Amino acid sequence: MNPAAAPIRALIAEDEPVLGHALLQALQRLWPELAIGAVAENGVAAVREALAQRPDVLFLDIKMPGKTGLEVARELAEDWPDAAPFPLIVFVTAYDDYALQAFEQAAVDYVMKPVTDARLAQTVARLRARLATQGERDGELERIVQQLRTILPAPAAPQPRLTLIRAGIGNQIRLIPVADVVYFEAADKYLNVVTADGDALIRTSLKELLPQLDPDQFWQIHRGTVVNLRFVQAAQRDETGKLSLRLAGRPEQLPVSRLFAHLFRQM
Amino acid sequence: MNPFRSEPLPRARLLLRRIPYDLAIVSAVNLACAVVVTYVMRDGGSSFWENLVFSMCIGTLAMALINGARILLWGEGVPPKLPFFALVAAGSVLAYVLGHELAMRLLGLPPREFAHGLEENAVGFISLTVLAGLMLTIFFWSRAEVAELKIAAATEKARAAAVERQAMQAQLQLLQAQIEPHMLFNTLATLQSLIGIDAPRAQHMLEQLIHYLRATLSSSRAETTTLAQEFALMDAYLGLMSVRMGARLNYALELPAELRELALPPMLLQPLVENAIKHGLEPKIDGGGIRVEARRDGDRLRLTVADTGLGLDAAGAGHAAVPGGGVGLANVRERLQALYGGAAQFTLSANPPGGVLARLDLPLSLPLPS
Repeated sequence: MNPAAAPIRALIAEDEPVLGHALLQALQRLWPELAIGAVAENGVAAVREALAQRPDVLFLDIKMPGKTGLEVARELAEDWPDAAPFPLIVFVTAYDDYALQAFEQAAVDYVMKPVTDARLAQTVARLRARLATQGERDGELERIVQQLRTILPAPAAPQPRLTLIRAGIGNQIRLIPVADVVYFEAADKYLNVVTADGDALIRTSLKELLPQLDPDQFWQIHRGTVVNLRFVQAAQRDETGKLSLRLAGRPEQLPVSRLFAHLFRQM
Repeated sequence: MNPFRSEPLPRARLLLRRIPYDLAIVSAVNLACAVVVTYVMRDGGSSFWENLVFSMCIGTLAMALINGARILLWGEGVPPKLPFFALVAAGSVLAYVLGHELAMRLLGLPPREFAHGLEENAVGFISLTVLAGLMLTIFFWSRAEVAELKIAAATEKARAAAVERQAMQAQLQLLQAQIEPHMLFNTLATLQSLIGIDAPRAQHMLEQLIHYLRATLSSSRAETTTLAQEFALMDAYLGLMSVRMGARLNYALELPAELRELALPPMLLQPLVENAIKHGLEPKIDGGGIRVEARRDGDRLRLTVADTGLGLDAAGAGHAAVPGGGVGLANVRERLQALYGGAAQFTLSANPPGGVLARLDLPLSLPLPS
């Protein structure tokens, strides 16, 4: 493919309008041939727009409403279609703190706000060099996934083990032994507790629940799914290479995201 | 070790002030000795008045000798016990001999006549003098100890008060230095970008930032502020935030004119407004509104901060999952308790359909913090 034929496309995710506008203007100055779409103003829009537009370059603000920049990168790494090259990510932040180390590793570059032209010119040069090397682009998704694997499963301090789940169904409370749960699935602000007998919603986030589960028994296989290994019968790849789990007592198959696929490699 | 060497001035003054008092006590003991000699030991050869002159001479001399020798030997320090009691005994005997001689001359008595009595009762008189000397010594000694303990307690109390005051000040400064680096750097970034895009607006934003920084950083020195100043500060802060958040933030401030000059401790309203932004509106995708209001209700001042942000339970660590939790809010509670005791209330509740309603209920006649 000739790079001159298809313009390089960029997406900016920045919740503060003045800063988004300033970055847009600076990029237009320094990289006139770059095609930049509308600025995504929060983390949710950033994921949506990135998946829809499939940009080559993604400028991600770290602190955004909805999702942080790192959460956006993670969701994209999980949901990015195999066929498309993964965007080169540049994180943007106003304040340098310890959390940045994680971002630094997952990104091609990261820059401080307000972005000066001199600094942004370096970033542009680095991006151009990367984009010119086809091999580098192909490895980008794998590189990000590797980085995210080392960064993300920062397990919270283990908490007392949960043995019983109290789920409100109508005006009664159903008691579900944790051992009987086939899997937990995040659903908006709730968590769907799936057993062989049916589902129940609880008002807890996966993040709050995870430290209370036995890590040898319950594995996270997707940002929104934690499965009970007792019910896993097999892990299989479909024709597109996507990994999913077949379960005992449930007809559906659970997709395993790229970030967790390494857990099911054969011995 | 004498802990008071370092403070010679108060101690010297204390000693000077004590001299008349000590003399009175010694005189009283002298009087008691004269009574004992006249009516208990029944020294037939002399009247009560003569005995009083004797005991006054002996007692006062004993006090002067013992104290003089003590100061000569040990200065203002605490003398070692045993040598000091030996000094008391020796001083008493010497004082007896000298005082006796002095009294004889004062009374104009023929030496020989009295020498008779001296020979008869000398051991008794000397014993009485030593006994009185020892008793007085023990009395003065324990009194000095009590006084030193009192001084030590007072010093300790002053020190504790100073420590507490410093801790309070440090805490206040910490509170007031709660300008978050994230907030500051994001604001500066916006400002720098705005200069190139919209210079007059950047100018206005800079003014608001200066106002906000000055008020926030200097309120450590002002113990009270007025509602008008506090609302101006909130206006500056919300103005900054609205430039940054754009259409995601709208705000309203309502301060009735008659409440403008009312005194208010700083850092009560501000944390509530900053919390509403930080935990309620900034993380909310669609943003929302905040309304700050002051109202008079009889003899109460009611301040409310109402937002339409994420609400109490969604905001996690900040507003705290536990209603009324969070570090900033704990500080507000502590300050209210310190400033008003039980006379002020602070409540945090849901502001339906979403959001948080923070309410401060204060006495209208505000006590000026001392």
